[in-house]
Amino acid sequence: MKLISSFLCMLCISFPAFANDIEQAKPWLERLSTSLKTLNYSTSFVVVKNNQAEPYHWLHGVDDKQQELEILAQLNGPRRDVLRRGNTVSYIEPEQDAYSVSSAYLSGPIPAIFSHDIEALESSYRFISVGRSRVLGRVAQVIRIVPKDSHRFDHWLWLDQQSGLLLKMAIITRQGQLLEQVQFTHLDVTNDIAESLKQLQSAELPSVSDVGIQNQQDELFWHVSWLPQGIEIIKSSRRRVNNDKTVEFILLSDGLVEISVYINPSNIQQRPIEYASDGATAVFSQIVDGLEVSVVGKIPLETAKMIADSVGPVATNSQ
Amino acid sequence: MSESKFETLSSLVDDSLSSIDLSKDAKPIDCILKDEELAQSWQNYHLIGDVLRDEMPQSLQLDLSSQIAEAIANEATILSPNSASVTAVADELSDNVAQEAPQVIQAQNRFTAKVKEFIKPAGQIAIAASAAVLMVVGVQQNVADDAAVTPNQIVQPMPLGGYANPVSFNYLSPTQAEQKSIAEKKAMASATQSAGELTHQQKVEQRIAQQRRLQALINDHEQQVKLSSAIK
Repeated sequence: MKLISSFLCMLCISFPAFANDIEQAKPWLERLSTSLKTLNYSTSFVVVKNNQAEPYHWLHGVDDKQQELEILAQLNGPRRDVLRRGNTVSYIEPEQDAYSVSSAYLSGPIPAIFSHDIEALESSYRFISVGRSRVLGRVAQVIRIVPKDSHRFDHWLWLDQQSGLLLKMAIITRQGQLLEQVQFTHLDVTNDIAESLKQLQSAELPSVSDVGIQNQQDELFWHVSWLPQGIEIIKSSRRRVNNDKTVEFILLSDGLVEISVYINPSNIQQRPIEYASDGATAVFSQIVDGLEVSVVGKIPLETAKMIADSVGPVATNSQ
Repeated sequence: MSESKFETLSSLVDDSLSSIDLSKDAKPIDCILKDEELAQSWQNYHLIGDVLRDEMPQSLQLDLSSQIAEAIANEATILSPNSASVTAVADELSDNVAQEAPQVIQAQNRFTAKVKEFIKPAGQIAIAASAAVLMVVGVQQNVADDAAVTPNQIVQPMPLGGYANPVSFNYLSPTQAEQKSIAEKKAMASATQSAGELTHQQKVEQRIAQQRRLQALINDHEQQVKLSSAIK
């Protein structure tokens, strides 16, 4: 009798404690989202993967017209910048002419969702508050974003207790293997916006390209019949890749990670599986029965293979 | 008093008697010579030291002193000019009483130092041994990892969408890939067959072509992610 009552007692204590953990984690992520959008900050970080470190400089500010200004610059190698003014994002890259996309966020090493609707992740991920740590000489709250299934990676975030901003991020497999890290090396939160952001206010950005408008949902001959829960089709189109072949392209996303699927008929009947990984990004390619299917994204290779294997012809269509 | 005497003796045996000790104490060697108990300890300490250092001879001659004394007795006598030192020793011994307190503290320090010295070699061996064990475990762990699904990191793509790092040659050959559990067996069977017939040159070309393909896929993926942000 005593045992039972004490067990019940423990249940009463442990359940609220568990709920409390989740309760604690979400406000932290909401605070991160608000801080990323509203604060003026100047930061540097490195992306560590494949035994290499890529340094970046990242500036953000909000001007008097409540317009967000943002610069993300890669510091090593050829110049590669992303500029954002309000809803215009410009990419300056060595391979092609600078172009702009009409978007509310820029695409870089830090998932854009962190500065937006974090609640959209709740269908596929759980948020867990892990504890405190020290990062960049500051007190950091550690938050895990754990997938509800085993088909995706675990994201760990270290958030600054003072400003709520990101101090470190790690992508980790279910087995605990570290794949990719973003480590901030400098963080300055200021009252005024940085000088280079002031210049961006009046800078002439390249015109919004029509490349981005090709986001129509084409009718495809092939479709993906299996996807992990929460991953949805964002875009499907038929287009040319590398100017040598026409592929059917499907872009998938669960909010945190994007996955590209390329499908095209091939002259070769069979080709052994090819795969590679770049940090957390997996590339998987196979030709089975004359159909080449490639999958790219920050997902485990097993998931990529499962998605590739599930590709089949759309019903009643012989090819 | 006697305890500190032993400490001094012990330090002397260890050859770690500092100059301070020498200045405070009466010449410690003279004390040992006078004190039967100390002389015995002197002998014991050396014996202990020899055992610890593994310097014991095969046949154990516990008491050499009598033999040495005998040998000395047989030597020709040499007269020492300094025989007054005996009285000086007596004076200095009385001075020592006043300095007893600080000496006890020093004695303790020396004792811990001695214990440390005693334990150190054993500790080092233990650390070395455990490091060796870790290495063995670690090596096994690595082997196990290799067998797992995670492939080598082949491609060096661009983080922001397009700088072409030199493509690394750290790729997987089809036969290596076959060993990985992800490989589909029937597809791989034909692959290894054909790969076996190819020359080395052809294989290298194939691999470079494969790398280019995968690299191009990553580039295109990142480009698409950027463009897709427009509709979200």
